[in-house]
Amino acid sequence: MSRPIKKIYDCTTGETIEREFTDEEFAQYQADQAAFITEKAEAEAKATAKAALLAQLGITEEQAKLLLS
Amino acid sequence: MAITKATASSIAPAAKGDLVVGSATNDAAVLAVGTNNTVLTADSSTATGLKWATPAAGGMTLINTGGTALNTTTTVISSIPSGYNSLRIITVVTDPQDDGGGLRLRINEDSTANRHAQGFMGATSNVQFNQTSVPITYSQDNGTPNGITITDIVFYDNTSIWKFATNFGVVNSYLDNARAEFIQTWGAYNQTGAVTSLEFFFNGGVNASGGTVYVYGVK
Repeated sequence: MSRPIKKIYDCTTGETIEREFTDEEFAQYQADQAAFITEKAEAEAKATAKAALLAQLGITEEQAKLLLS
Repeated sequence: MAITKATASSIAPAAKGDLVVGSATNDAAVLAVGTNNTVLTADSSTATGLKWATPAAGGMTLINTGGTALNTTTTVISSIPSGYNSLRIITVVTDPQDDGGGLRLRINEDSTANRHAQGFMGATSNVQFNQTSVPITYSQDNGTPNGITITDIVFYDNTSIWKFATNFGVVNSYLDNARAEFIQTWGAYNQTGAVTSLEFFFNGGVNASGGTVYVYGVK
């Protein structure tokens, strides 16, 4: 299975090369992926909880912002 | 009109734009007009102490000629030359392959832990260096790229200070792509070496499916 691609533009020569990730880069990539999945799940859970609370209160997001302004 | 010199005969401008200037005590001379767009500059080595010179270049120079497309997993702008006052990085119509991706910037391709810190509205005090990159955007929508961001790194080639990036912009929100996702973030890099490369990628390993980055050197 091919690895993700890194593109490198060299400002001195004006040349662009594309190559597969090195072992180190691929490990970092996998760590980034795992962290992102966690962060995204947390953000979506927060958005769901917010929507549920607004529904419970019977007000819109704009009305909630107005109350807090 | 001729001007009588204190020590000799009179002198007169020969053409439009010529100047009559002092050339020595009680003496004067004509300084012929310079070429278009040159400016008058003091220069003690000339007979009149003045010369016409091309003004020093200013403004912005595009370092990565033509801009660089963001269409791989990561994109690096390398061998950034020193000598400018700051770098201005502009991204346009960046597009993550999946909803929710946010564009990140990694200075000098340095993924060592605890070297980058990120700040954003409401979270700027006592911030840890606990990142391996800093944010350019958050929570972008896939497939509706209309955004633009502007990032500045001042004194990027200084070798005795931390590096600091200020960033702001707008992208399509992934919760509702007709809405704006405004961004105002800061990034810090706790190393003092010059910035010589900039790496761009979407968080979570999301591939970039579009967008262009422009890196300018600013005088």
